[in-house]
Amino acid sequence: MMNNFRFGIRQKIITGYIVIIVCLIAAILAVTKQLDNMQKERNFIIQHDFAVRDLTSNIEKDLLKMESGQRGYIVTGDENYLQPYNEAREQWGKDFNALSKLLSDYPDQLKEITAINENIKEWIEVAGEPSIKLKQQNDTAGIRDFFQKDPGKTEIEQTLQQFDSFRNNEKELVQQRADNLNNQNQYLEIGLFSLLAFVILASIALAWIISGSIIKTIKAVVETIRAMTTGGNLSSRIHVKSNDEIRDLGFATNELLDSFEERDWLQRSVTEVVSKNQGISSLENLAEIFLSATAQITESSYGAFYIKEGKEKNVRFVKKGAFADTAGDVGRDSFALGQGLIGQCALEKRVQVINKIEGDYTLISSGLGETKPRSILIAPIVHEEEIIAVIELASLAEYTSQHLAFIEKVLETFGLTINRVIDRIEIARLLSESQAMTEELQAQSEELQTQSEELQMQSEELQMINEQLESRSQDAEEKSKALEIAKKELEEKAKQLETGSKYKSEFLANMSHELRTPLNSILILSEMLAENSSKSLSEEELEFARVIHSSGQDLLNLINDILDFSKVEAGKLEIMLSEVNLSEFPSSLERNFTHIADQKGLNFTINIAPDVPTILQTDEKRFQQIIKNLLSNAFKFTEKGSVSVRLNKVPADVTYAGIDYWLEVSIKDTGIGIPKEKHELIFQAFQQGDGATIRKYGGTGLGLSISSEFAKLLGGRLQLQSEEGKGSTFKLLIPSISDESVSVQTFAGASAEVATALEQSAKVIEDAPATAKIAPAVPETEQPIMVDQEKVFYGKTVLITDDDNRNIFALKTALEQKGMNVLNANNGMECLDVLETNKNIDLILMDIMMPEMDGYETMQRIRGLNEFTDLPIIALTAKAMKNDREKCLEAGASDYISKPLKLEQLFSVMHVWMTK
Amino acid sequence: MKDLIWNNDDSQETNITETIEMELLLEGLYRVSGFDFRQYMRSSIQRRVQNRMQIEQIQTITGVLEKVLHDPMFMNKLLNDFSINVTEMFRNPEFFKVFREKVIPELKELPEIRIWHAGCATGEEVYSMAILMEEEGLIHKAKLYATDMNETVLNKARSGILPLSKMRTYTKNYMSSGGTRAFSEYYTTDGHFAYLKPSLLKQISFAQHNLVTDQSFNEFHVILCRNVLIYFTTALQNQVYELFYESLSTKGFLGLGDKESIKFAECADQYEEFAELVKIYRKK
Repeated sequence: MMNNFRFGIRQKIITGYIVIIVCLIAAILAVTKQLDNMQKERNFIIQHDFAVRDLTSNIEKDLLKMESGQRGYIVTGDENYLQPYNEAREQWGKDFNALSKLLSDYPDQLKEITAINENIKEWIEVAGEPSIKLKQQNDTAGIRDFFQKDPGKTEIEQTLQQFDSFRNNEKELVQQRADNLNNQNQYLEIGLFSLLAFVILASIALAWIISGSIIKTIKAVVETIRAMTTGGNLSSRIHVKSNDEIRDLGFATNELLDSFEERDWLQRSVTEVVSKNQGISSLENLAEIFLSATAQITESSYGAFYIKEGKEKNVRFVKKGAFADTAGDVGRDSFALGQGLIGQCALEKRVQVINKIEGDYTLISSGLGETKPRSILIAPIVHEEEIIAVIELASLAEYTSQHLAFIEKVLETFGLTINRVIDRIEIARLLSESQAMTEELQAQSEELQTQSEELQMQSEELQMINEQLESRSQDAEEKSKALEIAKKELEEKAKQLETGSKYKSEFLANMSHELRTPLNSILILSEMLAENSSKSLSEEELEFARVIHSSGQDLLNLINDILDFSKVEAGKLEIMLSEVNLSEFPSSLERNFTHIADQKGLNFTINIAPDVPTILQTDEKRFQQIIKNLLSNAFKFTEKGSVSVRLNKVPADVTYAGIDYWLEVSIKDTGIGIPKEKHELIFQAFQQGDGATIRKYGGTGLGLSISSEFAKLLGGRLQLQSEEGKGSTFKLLIPSISDESVSVQTFAGASAEVATALEQSAKVIEDAPATAKIAPAVPETEQPIMVDQEKVFYGKTVLITDDDNRNIFALKTALEQKGMNVLNANNGMECLDVLETNKNIDLILMDIMMPEMDGYETMQRIRGLNEFTDLPIIALTAKAMKNDREKCLEAGASDYISKPLKLEQLFSVMHVWMTK
Repeated sequence: MKDLIWNNDDSQETNITETIEMELLLEGLYRVSGFDFRQYMRSSIQRRVQNRMQIEQIQTITGVLEKVLHDPMFMNKLLNDFSINVTEMFRNPEFFKVFREKVIPELKELPEIRIWHAGCATGEEVYSMAILMEEEGLIHKAKLYATDMNETVLNKARSGILPLSKMRTYTKNYMSSGGTRAFSEYYTTDGHFAYLKPSLLKQISFAQHNLVTDQSFNEFHVILCRNVLIYFTTALQNQVYELFYESLSTKGFLGLGDKESIKFAECADQYEEFAELVKIYRKK
């Protein structure tokens, strides 16, 4: 294929044309020649024929001339007749010669001619000449004789016959030649057409071959180019076997393909890298992805990516990503501008390729060993004329120009990408910051709301206090006057009281004494009676006596209680400290209560904890009284089960001056118990569980309050744990007082503390298994307080707008019962009229379906009036109508209620809208 | 952010001291009470503490710590300060409107609808949800769980008692939220308070739950946690989001406060934006 012989398209086409032209010329020449031949032939035929015919007829004419001349002469003897004869005799020989010459090629004809010649000659010798001689001789006889014989007659006839045959022959010959010519003509025609057909075929064939050789290569080129444009395989190349312009075109196309492929590679590589860079939101990520893509494309084994950080003098390039074929971190972490090769590159802002590696350059390590890179490439990434990053790549092969071109190309836009990512990070940061700010603001606003609520509450409280203060200061003035008067009165009364209380105590003491005396007699006598020592009393009378006795006993107890209580009240009760021997305590209690326990079938136990000291310093009488009180209560209210007493020494964390220890006496029963809400109550005077209890169990109800007061007097306290139906436990907490000089009163606070401590320790023990979590306790500021409903409504004015008077009446009655003033209007117009004249309306109830002006319009009009923009309007809608609600709101209703109205709901809504 | 708290530069020193003091205070509070505010937004906590300091006339945060450690009453006060209980019925009515129009149709077919109100405060939001469910005819199969770390506000929420003074606002909110009946059908009143209909309260389970320290307790179709996470640091927010993710059923809904957004949270891509405008997200 690579021979140097060049056969171009022009040559090909010219050759084709030449071939065709040559064919044409040959054909034309052949035809012309043939035509010429035919012309000659025809000419020959024409001349020859004519000549033969002329000569023949001439000869014949001459013959006949001679005959007629001969005869004329003979007849006339006129010499004139001899002249044509002589002329003809001379002429025919010449003609004959010419004829024989013409017919030299035709021997047959020549023979005939020669025969004719012989005959004529014979005629001349036999007839012509002799007869003429005879005449000249005047030999008439001889002439007669001659004519009688007539010797030349056969020759003439024979000659004429011969001529006819000759002419026929000649005609046949001519015909033969003409036929021949015709044949030749036909051949020529055929030849001409064949030639034409050949030329046409040859032209087509040539055109086909030549165009074919051109088109085939062009097609190949076109295919390849098309493949290129449709993104097909670019690696295929055009192969042209011919050595012509098409081959040139093929080569040129291949070159184009090469460069195209190169550019395509570049483009694809760049696109690949760029597309990988899309949608990345962190620099590290970007660096990693970019490096790995770039390294793969440039066949690098190692890469590092540095981003500029800091400003002006503090500029440093910090590594954001590294790539290494083998695992592990490569490259130093940061460098400054101008520092090292890479810093230099950053300073110079241009791509550097270093193929001669010196010094201890990083070794590229593989699984099997380490090797120095062959070539390194350092490229700055520029954005808006400024270096913003640097990458460094190292390869075991040298970087090709294509790699460089790729790097340059990809870095053109990479600056923008980095910048975009930085921007994006910045935007994300700002966004999240703004989100944080928004949340912070929301939090602040909620806090503020909380604070403002707190403040509002505080300010409300303050206002309340202020109001109270104000009214108080007013009162104060009045009261200070009143006080003065009262003071005087008081002073007087104090005196009176002093005497009065003395009187009261005296009276009580006296009365108790006075009462006791007769009571004693009653008790003693009734007891005596009950003993029935004389046995004179009937069972019934005995029973009466027992009742009298027990009633008297009760009465006595009551009197004692009243006395004690009045003493306590008057603060007259004094305590007498003494030593109580606690070891004797159980036996004394048993003495007093065992029989009751037996009577009621109750289990009665007394326990004293081992650490309880034997001596208790207190007022024995009162102590005993408290215990007895509590025990008798316990027995009184317990029908079955048990009553138990337990003494404990309170483990005291705190010590108080004047107190040895604290004793706790628990009296526990399994009786009816006390409901929680009554716990406080029962310690008040004259109170028991409830009325029914009093009826069932009797008693004054003073016992517990006296006990409680005594306990306080002794520096202790009385506490109750009880559940209704499960029994009660009374706990007496009492100090053993070592120092008599200390006022017992000071112990009251102490006892509270001890009690709290006790309670808490008990609670801790109780709660121990549960989680020790303590919920933050919000003081219940908004406790529901049932207030008089009417207070909100009282004196308020409500306008009812309804076209149905029955509705108005019903509503009016209900509202007036709550103390409201009720106005009414039958339609919107009236409503507006009423509003005009009554400015103090607090709320409007608005029916919707009304004649003249319906509720919607009325509300709109009311809202249109400046003074009523905030006036509560409650729309009364029919439930059936779906759009009522929206329409009401649009018209300006504050709220709405569906008919039929429920009064409770109506009042609820009115509460909401009338509460200020 | 810091600008909001620290106004001048020369308080740098105080700044550091106060940071330490604050950390100690929160640590102490956590150790004493079990309530962990260490990951709450410092700015918010800071303001609350300062507020308390002002009221109680305490000079330093250490002073606050001392009272926290020795005065249980004070500790409770402080804990209450930290628990912000701002809420109202049909708060951001648009939220409930969108919930009604777009979320309800997605829930209708479920055999049971479990909704968790995380950080319910005094319960107004869960009341609103109960009303919405009632109106949509779903209350019979709806289970509403309302939790808060603060037992006292929970007790308040359990009571269903609302201050009368707020009812006007609530009525307006109810109307804007697309309520289909009269708001007054859901409460009765006396002179001071409105009382939520007990039948609504019956559908709600109130329980103590601390988002910071407690775990998931069920799988829910809807979790509402509106304006709670704003008090948390991003780390804590992420932790709570994780808890919500665990607690949501597939295709479950998460509703946040109108100023909150899941966009910047770690779990953002686990949710699709269902109604971004009112902050309703859907687990993918």
